[in-house]
Amino acid sequence: MRRIIILALLLGGMRLILPLGTGSSSAHSLLTFGFLILAAYTSGELATSARLPRIVGYLIAGVLFGPSVLNIVNVDATRELAPVSSLAIALIAFLAGAELRWSELRERGRAISLILVCELGITFIALAALLVGLRDYVPFLQSTPTPTVIGFSLLFASIAVVHSPAVTMALLTETGARGPVARTTLSVVLVSDVVVIVLFSAVLALARALVPPTTGDVAAISLGSVVWELGGAVVVGTALGAAVALYLRFVKRELILFAVLVTFFGSEIARLAHVETLLTLLTAGFVMENISHDGDGDALRHAMERSGAPIFVVFFALAGAAMAIGDVAAVWPLLIPIVLVRAAGIWTGCRIGGKWAHIPAPTGNLVWMGLISQAGVAIGLATVIAEVYPTRGEPIRTLFLATLAVNQTIGPILFRLALVRGGEIAGTEPQVDPHGAAITAASN
Amino acid sequence: MSSTLLLVVVAAIAYLAAHVVFGWLGRKYLVVSGAEYLVLGILLGPHATRVLTPDVVGSFAPITTLALGWMGAAVGVRLYLADLVKIPGLTYRLALVESALTFLLVGGTEMVVLAWLYEIPLAEAALPAAALGAIATASSVAGVELAVKRLNERGVEVTQLGVSVLINAIVAVAAFGLLASIWHRPVLVNGRPLTATEWMTITLGIGVIGGMLFHLFVGDERHSDRIFVSLAGGVILVSGAAAFAGLSPLLAALVFGVILVNTSRNRVELAAAIAHVERPLYFVLLVFAGAAWQPSASAWVLPVLLFLAVRALGKVGGARLVTRMNGMIPVLGPDWGRGLVGQGGLALAIALNYVYQDGGTLPYFVFTASIASVLLTDLMSARLVQSVLAPLIAKRRALLRPVESPPAPRTPTADGG
Repeated sequence: MRRIIILALLLGGMRLILPLGTGSSSAHSLLTFGFLILAAYTSGELATSARLPRIVGYLIAGVLFGPSVLNIVNVDATRELAPVSSLAIALIAFLAGAELRWSELRERGRAISLILVCELGITFIALAALLVGLRDYVPFLQSTPTPTVIGFSLLFASIAVVHSPAVTMALLTETGARGPVARTTLSVVLVSDVVVIVLFSAVLALARALVPPTTGDVAAISLGSVVWELGGAVVVGTALGAAVALYLRFVKRELILFAVLVTFFGSEIARLAHVETLLTLLTAGFVMENISHDGDGDALRHAMERSGAPIFVVFFALAGAAMAIGDVAAVWPLLIPIVLVRAAGIWTGCRIGGKWAHIPAPTGNLVWMGLISQAGVAIGLATVIAEVYPTRGEPIRTLFLATLAVNQTIGPILFRLALVRGGEIAGTEPQVDPHGAAITAASN
Repeated sequence: MSSTLLLVVVAAIAYLAAHVVFGWLGRKYLVVSGAEYLVLGILLGPHATRVLTPDVVGSFAPITTLALGWMGAAVGVRLYLADLVKIPGLTYRLALVESALTFLLVGGTEMVVLAWLYEIPLAEAALPAAALGAIATASSVAGVELAVKRLNERGVEVTQLGVSVLINAIVAVAAFGLLASIWHRPVLVNGRPLTATEWMTITLGIGVIGGMLFHLFVGDERHSDRIFVSLAGGVILVSGAAAFAGLSPLLAALVFGVILVNTSRNRVELAAAIAHVERPLYFVLLVFAGAAWQPSASAWVLPVLLFLAVRALGKVGGARLVTRMNGMIPVLGPDWGRGLVGQGGLALAIALNYVYQDGGTLPYFVFTASIASVLLTDLMSARLVQSVLAPLIAKRRALLRPVESPPAPRTPTADGG
């Protein structure tokens, strides 16, 4: 009841204050930022009391208060707050990298690779095949020659296979889960981001050969630029991570301020050097964690989580606000098969990959649930398609964003369920067979 | 260079300067850190090296507005009533009269001088003059804190300076908040413009509702991360709402801070969280205040010099007058007002708020006066406080020292000592 009152007060307050505005956009963005922190956080708590992950509450708050429904947070405000999203992504990437340990990667590398190859491969082929099969119902494939159908189906599939590091990290931060399901999922999600960029570049090159673009930036993505984006990101990220580790070793003060500065600095350097921001920060976090002294990394991680907490809340609320409910409604008959086939592809791939890698049954059976969420780099890639193929790229982007809206909502719920079933959330017991539970406990 | 990267570089320089150079200077030579960031901002700004262009400065307006709100909240959380009622009423009387005298003296003088110098009607000169009066009232908190920490002493004189600095801050922020309500751009609601009283009520209402929301939001929560999120959300919302409505974020956030500290069970954690974030935001505010500065187009040297002189007179003379009238000269001495001459972030925050305010007359003249005052007095503010407190403490100690008996004649010892 208290939370409903808070939301009502916030909404009422905004309704009262908005007509009094003097037209200052900077003050408006600050007002929206503060409103979103409190409103989304309260919604997150409501979600928790309904046994849902907090971020589902944040997303719902974004949808509710965003342009699609109440329009308290209008399109201009979401645009003004775009830097908050960039900062959040950078923070999430750094935190995610700091979760990875070299020893663990060596130990689990084979298993991660096998799961990744299987689930990405199967999902990619299944989605592409689905679109080819449904060509008469897909707006951008209707009445087109077969090479075009194949090209655009592959393009759509290459971005639809992407997972969401942000959701994964947010849930791990929220639940404190660090068991095998959590760690395997995180590793797969992070590595898949890099693999998907390479896959997308290859598919785009193939699509160009099949369907030469008529307009747009034809040289948007070349092999050289992809190599630099990825390789350069590793180089820049390594340097940044080493610098952070040195700071932690010799100074280790004002960590909250330092955490924000590092993230700002990393994302700006990545942008200026034209390297992948996510990978740069991820590498920086990984290097920092693995070369810094015991406890130093934890201290910085905690500072980042603390300073980032309001930013994460707003980031997910903005993601919710960006969900075009109208678009989802317009393409919903197509969405159902796409979402189901994607989930089935991930499930099958994880089962096969898990068995192949001899991963204990509970982990192998639960990881797929953490891979349903979708966001991050895929939105950027969808925009690239829209730029290269302005006519057909835009409907591809719309369909993808509608798919993303659905997966973004159900993904966190499924991942939380997986962590509960795996007994990795404090206060929960494994809900799989006793043998599996023993294995889970042992591997912890 | 990109604006974000620039901010990072600026913040890193500010951070290094604070910790390495000025931290050391502060400990060793009792120098307050602050003015150097202002100079850094001016040097980086459009009127010196042009590293920070007006567009960049403008793009960071939300952060500076947030810093204003945060500073207001930092003043507000000092007003914990249960502690304040333990202090004798006379202390408040002295502080309040000194504040009011300074405000009136500076405001009145500047109004006449500005009207004469710029040939504008008195009513038009009243706005910048009142803003200058509010700015003049504020004193450096950091100077008092640093000197008191160094002296490690408690007593009537220390309490008086502490309370005076607090009352000065409240009077300055409240006076400016009132000013922002009176000179507000007309906004039609239900077909008529809102009155100054209504704007003032809205300012206070934003703070009160923000505080109540926070109270509801946090409930019995003790987890520090949650408290921090709520606090950040609250200050951002209150500052944003006040700035959006063209009101003073400083006053709205001050009220928010007062509600917070007096209604929450987590007041210690709240005050700590506010203090922890205040410093980096304060540095950023100083840098961008410096960068936002523009030389006043009008003749400014005389009124600025006058501002400095009249302010010093108001502080020292006002304090002396009220102390004499209340018979406190034997305890506080005639010159304790000298400890209030130092000015720091709050004065600049009010001046910056005035610059951001719609329709303010002579904004950059007001800003220049505050910058000049901070540059001249901030560095030595702690020394001024020490110069006031040290003799008073020594005098008090001498009065309290028990009369010692004459030393006994020394008897020779075996080692001849």
